[in-house]
Amino acid sequence: MNNLNLILAGVFFTVAAPFGGLLLGGYAQLGALGRAPAEEGGPLFPALEPGLAIQGRQVYLQLGCVACHTQQVRPAGQGSDIAQGWGARPSVARDYVLQPQVALGNRRVGPDLANYGARAKSDAEIAAHLSAPAAGSAMPAYAFLFSPAKDGSLQPNERGVALIAYLKSLRQDYSSPEAKLKQ
Amino acid sequence: MSQENPNSRPQGQGRPQGRPAGTGSPRISRVDASVAGPVKFFFASALLWLLVSSVLAVITAVKLHLPGFLNGCEFFTFGRLDAIQRNVFFYGWASNALIGLNLWLLASLGRFEFRNAWIATLGGLIWNLALTVGLAFVLLDSQNPFELLELPRGVAPAFFVAFLLAALWPAVAFARRPTSHVFVSQWYILGASFVLPVVYLLAQLMVLWCPTNGVLQALVHGWFLQNFLYLWLGASALAAVYYFLPKELGTTLTGYYLSTVGFWTLFLFVGWIGPATLLGSPLPLWIQSTGIVAAVLLLIPLTITSINFFGTLSRDSGWSRAWNNTTLRFVAFGLVAYTLATLLQVVFAARSLNALVRFTAFTAGQQQLLTYAFVSMVIFGAAYFILPRLTGAFWPSAKLVHLHFWSCALAVVGSVAGSLVFGWTQGAALAAAKPFADTAHPQAALLGSACAVLFLIGHLAFAVNAFGMLTSCSSSTDEGRQA
Repeated sequence: MNNLNLILAGVFFTVAAPFGGLLLGGYAQLGALGRAPAEEGGPLFPALEPGLAIQGRQVYLQLGCVACHTQQVRPAGQGSDIAQGWGARPSVARDYVLQPQVALGNRRVGPDLANYGARAKSDAEIAAHLSAPAAGSAMPAYAFLFSPAKDGSLQPNERGVALIAYLKSLRQDYSSPEAKLKQ
Repeated sequence: MSQENPNSRPQGQGRPQGRPAGTGSPRISRVDASVAGPVKFFFASALLWLLVSSVLAVITAVKLHLPGFLNGCEFFTFGRLDAIQRNVFFYGWASNALIGLNLWLLASLGRFEFRNAWIATLGGLIWNLALTVGLAFVLLDSQNPFELLELPRGVAPAFFVAFLLAALWPAVAFARRPTSHVFVSQWYILGASFVLPVVYLLAQLMVLWCPTNGVLQALVHGWFLQNFLYLWLGASALAAVYYFLPKELGTTLTGYYLSTVGFWTLFLFVGWIGPATLLGSPLPLWIQSTGIVAAVLLLIPLTITSINFFGTLSRDSGWSRAWNNTTLRFVAFGLVAYTLATLLQVVFAARSLNALVRFTAFTAGQQQLLTYAFVSMVIFGAAYFILPRLTGAFWPSAKLVHLHFWSCALAVVGSVAGSLVFGWTQGAALAAAKPFADTAHPQAALLGSACAVLFLIGHLAFAVNAFGMLTSCSSSTDEGRQA
């Protein structure tokens, strides 16, 4: 192995092969994936996000929420995500086609948020959790997302409202061609 | 011998090794002198980043059990500091140190005298500037939700150019080598220096500049991350091991002829293992299965490096000699960690086991085993060998060397073992359908904080010693040259 060109050509191949096999192969399968109706003629899913939620996504990314929260529900049999109540069905690739940056995440210090919007009861509940997390939670309070109102109570400010709208928009509780909701 | 060198000290019993070649001569070899500038620059930058990373690691570790700690200002949010700490560690500490280490190894192995070494230093300056700007953006503005691609995409071109300036040397050194013989270390450095820029560029393009559709971003990111960990950090550290082990033991490697196969199989399989870290994700099953197969195939290069390294260490009381040699003590520690890390990678690619530990602290422990217990420990060992040769000085304090080894070794064993055990038990509790909130271990965060403090102590000991040497030496280098 004394030939520079030979080694470089070999190393190039070892990079090119998985690039072609995995990434381009994956691209061929999923590159053009778009929204689709669960049944013919039905509404398209995933639904378009409200503008406020799009602004809230930026707050979610800024604060690095992905460090502790994932957004992916694994199928039953691979982890207990569904048994934990984090999703009504496994996440599928189509759920993410509208997201400019996919925050799947890799670590769960807190619960999964893929379907958080479906289980959060109200804006007030989310706001309360963000401003004063339950005792024992590893999540800090996000005081800078709130400002005092005239009556002295803490109300979410512009960024806080956007983040709450984003968290509410996180829903994977619809049927898609690849994953039907069990009735 | 030591009288000639104003900075040298008598060799006491149990004194850490790593004295300059030529037993105490203040003269620095021509090859070392030609590369000393950039290598010292990269090591000094790496050290500063390591200290920053250690302080940040203490803060983030404390935040995990005291969420209110430093919570008054939004810039100290865990999510921001965690991303900054990770990038400081990987791009600031590990990458700077490995670029420097690779330069020195190339010069040493090829008897290659660098001309225009300032180009490498310029690359280093750009690299560190780009990193600083990128980190400021993460702190004050926003970040990307992909591990090691958090920095804004605007810094990527600067990183790319900086790396080319600093690390195009492998090809130059290789092409102009005066001897026809090529060492295994040179293959690994050449491979690592080729893979990093190519993979980084492609990942930047497909994830940040022209983002691919949906979960494909996660696939590209997984591919990038494993290449970065195994083929940039891992392969560069292996290059150092292939150099230091036979050199310091004064022997040949067991099964040297196998090392070609070890090199090619490692590079061939690592590119495919990315999806094995994404099991259960919304990616097509065939992609996940390909990752599992590739991860299991890592057993082949692992077997070969084990024959090479452990075979060599098992001969002629190699283990005890390694233990009594500062450089080899770190390197041997790293080798055991590399073997364990790769074995865990293979075993926990199995779907059922992976499902149990995925998203828990277990995977963080696995990564730390590879990137700290292996890569960083090998870098430390290499620094103990290289810096005296570049500076013509001795390590100022043997006690600090011991403090450095023991605190870092204890910290990494405690931290990795804690992550693995607590991650596993949390996974088992979740599988038994316990509510998520009841599965976290408060002890895990406490242990993490204790280890982070221990790391900081070890790194401070190393930094005091190394900066003491780097500052005392500039004068001795000049004297050596004038003499």
